[in-house]
Amino acid sequence: MSDKMKNIIDNQQKQQDEPDITNLDDVMQLVGFVVGDEEYTVPILTIQEIIKPIEFTRVPQTPDYVLGVFNLRGSVIPLIDLRMKFGLPSAKQTDEARYIVMKSGDEVAGFVIDRLTEAIRLKKSDIDPAPETASGEKSIIEGVGKQADRILTILKVDTLLERDF
Amino acid sequence: MDEFQEILQDFLVESFELIEQLDQDLVELENTPEDLELLNRIFRVAHTVKGASSFLNFDILTRLTHHMEDVLNRARKGELVLTPDIMDVVLKSIDMMKAMLHFIRDNGTDEGSDDIEDVVVKLDAITSGESASPSTPEPEATPEPEPIVEEEVDYSDMSEGEIEDEIERLLQMRQDEDKARRVAKIEAGEAVPDAPEIIDEPAKEEAPAPKEEPKVEAPAPTPPPVAEKKPTPSAKKEVAKAPAKPAASVEQTIRVDVRRLDHLMNLIGELVLGKNRLIKINDDVEERYEGEEFLEELNQVVSIVSLVTTDLQIAVMKTRMLPIGKVFNKFPRMIRDLSRELGKKIELEIGGEETELDKSIVEEIGDPLVHIIRNSCDHGVEPIADRIAKGKSETGTIGLKAYNEGNHIVIEITDDGKGLDANVLKDIAISKNVITEKEADNMGDKEAFTLIFRPGFSTAKTVTNVSGRGVGMDVVKTNIEKLNGIIDIDSEIDAYTKIKLKIPLTLAIIQALLVGVQEEYYAIPLASVLETVRISTDEVYTVENRSVMRLRDEVLPLVHLADIFEVDRVFDGGEHTYVVVLGLAESKIGVIVDTLVGQEEIVIKSMGEYLKGMDGVAGATIRGDGGVTLIVDVAALMQMAKSLKAKPAIAQAASATKVKEKPSDYHVMIVDDSKTDRSIMKNALKPLGVTLIEAADGVEALNILKAGDHQFDAMLVDIEMPRMDGYSLAGEIKKYNKYKNLPLIAVTSRTTKADRMRGVEVGMVEYITKPYSPEYLMNVVKRNINLTMEA
Repeated sequence: MSDKMKNIIDNQQKQQDEPDITNLDDVMQLVGFVVGDEEYTVPILTIQEIIKPIEFTRVPQTPDYVLGVFNLRGSVIPLIDLRMKFGLPSAKQTDEARYIVMKSGDEVAGFVIDRLTEAIRLKKSDIDPAPETASGEKSIIEGVGKQADRILTILKVDTLLERDF
Repeated sequence: MDEFQEILQDFLVESFELIEQLDQDLVELENTPEDLELLNRIFRVAHTVKGASSFLNFDILTRLTHHMEDVLNRARKGELVLTPDIMDVVLKSIDMMKAMLHFIRDNGTDEGSDDIEDVVVKLDAITSGESASPSTPEPEATPEPEPIVEEEVDYSDMSEGEIEDEIERLLQMRQDEDKARRVAKIEAGEAVPDAPEIIDEPAKEEAPAPKEEPKVEAPAPTPPPVAEKKPTPSAKKEVAKAPAKPAASVEQTIRVDVRRLDHLMNLIGELVLGKNRLIKINDDVEERYEGEEFLEELNQVVSIVSLVTTDLQIAVMKTRMLPIGKVFNKFPRMIRDLSRELGKKIELEIGGEETELDKSIVEEIGDPLVHIIRNSCDHGVEPIADRIAKGKSETGTIGLKAYNEGNHIVIEITDDGKGLDANVLKDIAISKNVITEKEADNMGDKEAFTLIFRPGFSTAKTVTNVSGRGVGMDVVKTNIEKLNGIIDIDSEIDAYTKIKLKIPLTLAIIQALLVGVQEEYYAIPLASVLETVRISTDEVYTVENRSVMRLRDEVLPLVHLADIFEVDRVFDGGEHTYVVVLGLAESKIGVIVDTLVGQEEIVIKSMGEYLKGMDGVAGATIRGDGGVTLIVDVAALMQMAKSLKAKPAIAQAASATKVKEKPSDYHVMIVDDSKTDRSIMKNALKPLGVTLIEAADGVEALNILKAGDHQFDAMLVDIEMPRMDGYSLAGEIKKYNKYKNLPLIAVTSRTTKADRMRGVEVGMVEYITKPYSPEYLMNVVKRNINLTMEA
């Protein structure tokens, strides 16, 4: 684990050292994670905390991607399985699985992800709006970030936290 | 501007407080017009509001209060008698003042509020009408107070013409009395002041009266001014009683923002959860380190903390408590108005107004009570003629009583009116399509009474101002449900109707009954739990696709909590099952659960916007073990139960056990922290050919079990292990219904009798002490998994 941390820190350091990122306002910090086979990112400021999976309680009469609620230091918070939300078959949680607790305004919810990848700094100019087919009111994609070797999907946290049942 | 706002706030708070007492005082005053203390108090309110509002430039309010003050001042000085008609005007002006204060609160100005001219003119008329008559040098003669009281009562039901006649009669009576008295005095040798003039005075006024508003001259004949000079014995008594009340309100108080109290209450809630958790941990520690010295100390600390927490909780709850008298206060006035409006004679008897309950509940309880009392006045108490015909006293009585009962407050509203007729109610309900005839046939009297709470139901033939729209009692039901209260209604034809509201004392921290359904737990507010019964499964009958059971002489509809909450029925509940009988507002239902866990204090937490308003779930709470438990919304549950299709209340266990064909189909878990021990066990069991899975401690074992990758047939459990020991592990496993019958075999070097006993207590079936022979272990395992084939 500490190796990975070091890796991440190194990566961040590298990104920080990159000369082209000068003005903080032009930079977006993202946290990357994997759900199924895809990597997604969310803006770092929407993340309240990331915790290891803990026990949760099922809530009846909810769609299957709402796993239930869990106790986060005295607050009762909904837990949503992103795999199921994205229509992927559910799989066994591995040791790398985490709950990402995201918030927007007063809304807080935990999301189950398969594993974390890294924190990423991206120039705003490298972020394109969501492709036409995936945009619109209900889209959960905020935009697409371009990096040298890959494309990052940035999720719209507001929509994720919106109740859609 | 801010400063002004601050002053305005203070002004409003003060005014509302003053007015609250005012209604009560005014009605009381009407009954005891001689009570100077009371009059002064009322005058002071008008005066205070006038002073403050003029300072704040609320001209309209000032004008209104000024005129009120004039009238009251005259009454105070004894120049005016407050008759019911004058009271009508005064009360109306006070209503107006209230409305205006509300208007000011909402808009910050009194401009554009209701038109007061009408009332002002009437108030003026009272003032001037009286001053037109030459100020009366008070006759020394004191008329008996009795006629006044009598008058008082009569007025409230008379038409204007009757009042005229009554005035005439009373005048005559008084004159006669005075004459007699004067004669008596003259006889006694006393100097009599120019009495005849005085007697004539009201008579003169009498003549033009019919043209004027009757309100103006009505006061003239009555003589209470005298009370001021020479209090009659009865008046004295009143005055003596009065000071007791103000004294009580002079207690030392601080005004605190309710939000601060709410915040405090939230913090206490957290503390209560912490306490629950602490107690749970203490229990666990006690189990693990039995007999250790530090346990004693820990125990002491835990009990002190839990004691103080409970006290603190009660103390904070008390700060939020208000006497229910605050709500009751408005009813004498309401009854007075209603009885005048309906032409009935109704007396209100209030009891237990000092009973306290949470502020949030006090706010909610007002409306239902208004509706119930209006109903009692309109439908309950009969018109005077009917009452006389039935041989009852002319005056109907409505009783309003509050008292504590355990963690509840009970409010009883009784009237001695015509009562409820179950058959009539059923007929009306059928004709209004509220129920079907079949349903009606199955209904007992008590159930029929509850029909009045159905929306759209009304027994009134015509819709009146007061009631009959079929809305009021529905409001009662909704509000009481919101408070988790219970409504009980009882009645006897031509004798009485009694409505009992049972409401929990507080909303934030509640007592709950924890129940288990399969592997899940739910908390049911104890306020709604009437009783729990253990029944055998063949006591459940199915009637018209609904499960029901017979509970004493009632038929109780049943619903399985697992059906409501879509819990997978993985396990058969056995021959017996538990039924929690829930009561809410007027209805009852039995809920089948698998286990009763116990009673716990819980704090309601919201589940956030995302999961808000889920059917059947009122919220969540955090248990002693840190887990989240959902709280059952009893009202919603009852709704859901209605639409639920009846399934066989106890379903078959659907666990598809795979047929074991070869020894390796059997799975045995070995739980031991020592790798050597695990290897020894593995080697010993190898000849059996069963599949062996290893776990290094209780937590790991539990996780493997929960993951459900294998169906285990037996577990070998070491007792001494890090993280979770064997006893705790066994306890955890036995919590799961589906592992209830999983054989747990202790393999340990702990050999004392106490250890063995504990093993049995937590549900271990065998107890193997180390060291053991491989054959012995093999045989024990073989026996427990019913392995008959050879490898």
